[in-house]
Amino acid sequence: MNIRRMIGKTDLDVLIRDLISAGKRVIAPVRCGDSQHEALEYAPVRSPAEIHWAGPLPLRSLKEIIFPPTETLFGWKQVKSSVEIEANPNGFRETVIIGARPCDAAAFEIVDRVMGWDYRDDLWFGRRQATTILTVACPHGDESCFCPAVGLSPESARGADWFLTPADGGFEAAILTQKGEALLEPYKAQWPEPNNFSKQQLSGLESKVRANLKVQPESIRQWLEKHFDDPLWKHVALRCHGCGACAFVCPACHCFDIVDEPEGIDRGRRRRNWDACQPALFTLHGSGHNPRKDQAARFRQRIMHKFNYYPARFGEVLCTGCGRCVRVCAAGMDLIAILAEIGRRSEEAGAAS
Amino acid sequence: MASSFEPNIVAFVCNWCTYTGADLAGTSRISMAPNVRIIRLPCTGRIDTLFILKALERGADGIIVSGCHPADCHYTAGNYHARRRFAIFRDLMEFVGIDPHRVTFSWVSASEGGKWAEVVDRTTERVRRLGPFRTYPRLARGAGE
Amino acid sequence: MQELRDLARRLLRENQVNVILGYECARRGVRPAFITEAADCDRLVFDHRCVHNLAAYLSPRRTHVRALGRPAVVIKACDARAVAGLIRESQIEREETVLIGVRCGGVVLDPADSSPLSSGNIAPRCSACDQREPALFDHLVGEPKGAPAGEASRDARLSEIEAMNPEERLGLWIGLLGRCTRCHACRQICPMCFCERCIADKTQPAWIETSPHSRGNFAWHLTRALHLAGRCVDCGECERACPARIPLGLLSRKAARSVASRYGYVVTDDPAIPTPIGSFQFDDGQEFIA
Repeated sequence: MNIRRMIGKTDLDVLIRDLISAGKRVIAPVRCGDSQHEALEYAPVRSPAEIHWAGPLPLRSLKEIIFPPTETLFGWKQVKSSVEIEANPNGFRETVIIGARPCDAAAFEIVDRVMGWDYRDDLWFGRRQATTILTVACPHGDESCFCPAVGLSPESARGADWFLTPADGGFEAAILTQKGEALLEPYKAQWPEPNNFSKQQLSGLESKVRANLKVQPESIRQWLEKHFDDPLWKHVALRCHGCGACAFVCPACHCFDIVDEPEGIDRGRRRRNWDACQPALFTLHGSGHNPRKDQAARFRQRIMHKFNYYPARFGEVLCTGCGRCVRVCAAGMDLIAILAEIGRRSEEAGAAS
Repeated sequence: MASSFEPNIVAFVCNWCTYTGADLAGTSRISMAPNVRIIRLPCTGRIDTLFILKALERGADGIIVSGCHPADCHYTAGNYHARRRFAIFRDLMEFVGIDPHRVTFSWVSASEGGKWAEVVDRTTERVRRLGPFRTYPRLARGAGE
Repeated sequence: MQELRDLARRLLRENQVNVILGYECARRGVRPAFITEAADCDRLVFDHRCVHNLAAYLSPRRTHVRALGRPAVVIKACDARAVAGLIRESQIEREETVLIGVRCGGVVLDPADSSPLSSGNIAPRCSACDQREPALFDHLVGEPKGAPAGEASRDARLSEIEAMNPEERLGLWIGLLGRCTRCHACRQICPMCFCERCIADKTQPAWIETSPHSRGNFAWHLTRALHLAGRCVDCGECERACPARIPLGLLSRKAARSVASRYGYVVTDDPAIPTPIGSFQFDDGQEFIA
């Protein structure tokens, strides 16, 4: 598919207003509710004026749009001696994400692999199907970004239905999928094709964030494969408090827990909630035994899952280099520094052999 | 319509004073509002504030917490500890917008059957005026529901 | 800084301790450091970016830190209140930990904030703080410092919320607590949240619903605020750690205001003074009891 269009700022506003008035859920980066902070978050918008195109990466990833922190799977009701199940009407509301960052959009494609693997997760794919993603070339990187180290870039169109690149007063849009084409259809004739197909020069963001971390995922994986029991784990995990903040802001972490919550003595709801591998409770057995007995074992699991097990099974790392885990960690756990150290050790080992 | 509303009220009471007082109210055939369900516990010191929240979660419109008067605790000091805990919890509840008028704290001794009936009637009337507290259980309605 | 490094080196060389819990510079601002070799003591720093309350690492539940041996810990005055809390509540022995008190002129909100300390970036709790050095210590280092005045009174917001009507307050907290995803960063970083098994992690019965809907979140945050009433040392770590940026300090300061006005209690670094919820007076106020 090679459809391209020049979209003026006002044209894009028209599109957004049309979507909203058609009853679609439009998600975009907006100023975070708490006005004390200069922070953004992805949230439903009622008007295009609310959207912040520039500024830092939104606090939490786009994950919650497809995979909410809590969702009801079904309700139950006891009727005499049997149980009635009330299916939850999980209507997948048509959603358009405007201004997705490349690292967030790419994560959906990566997580698709596990969600459609041994069991097909209908809730995930139901919302995926109902969602159209308009990614924008990343406007802002900082010292915690490392998307180039995991094979992406601030201009990566992976996972996008449209990819928007800022161009004189508006955007140059590349329409990449059938879903994207359907969204364009009503405007296709009005909006002009760009004169030249040359790629816009961005503000050197890629080289800036590339300098933050220079490792090869495959070299990381090779070291991890041979160093399950390495003193490094005890050393790096010392400061970790064992909360779930890193996993919950991560666009690629997807673990969940399923709980039954009674609403009375004869009825209740089964819900699916986000879960995370750093709290001890994650693997605590009913017997009291915990196979991941300390924070070192739990932190190792986080790194192993993302950079060894996932690539071994699905061919790519479970990380898009957004750097949120680095920014959010109150204890100063720094994935960039840890991956750099592993990369260094891997190279040393490679040179020695 | 408000007058036809019959509130559900849960009472957490201590075994030694208020439960016995409520029993006395019954055996003395004192008439009182039928809206209260009693849950008997050993002592007000055993009444966790989570009992109050759980009752609200499950649809209670009002709560009564009652036990021995100061100096009368069967376990010497359970009610003194409870008094501090409930004072602070009441302030916190009010701070997050849960109307503390939905919760009655009282001391009712084993001999105060009449006072128990009064506490029940007054709480029922007050909660009836406040109306049903559906807001709290409905806080669980989130995404996809 | 040299004084701190020399002291740490001496403590390690003389085998008085096995590990120094302090601060070091890293790729991104300042972070907690665990120094076991005298030769590494030059990594230690203390400045206005040393936000973290290191007392959290003293809990007996931190088995991986405990395994390093006897610790010396760098504490600001606010951190000393947490150490006192751990001693008061029998989590650590006073003798088993060496306390390196530091004189503090206030810290910033974000340890990665490298700009100089000013009224614009000082943590609001620091501009209101009147304790520039701990009273509980084995060694005290650093020069006495004053802190720049903050821009806004942090209690103004508290009073503003108190003045709202109940519906407004409920709406406000539904909005704020609705953002919580229950990562429990607030609990994990809290030096006073040291329970072996938190009530929020118990599922049989689940007194606190584990789902991050507002109802579960109300039960969690109200219960946490109550459990910390008169114990919270106002180090601000829960609010800093919250990835949803919920102003959790409002709840703990409300509880602090409640114990102060009702029982005249202010959290101190004297381990001998009991907590208000763990004690009582015969004539405590009971205006709310029928």
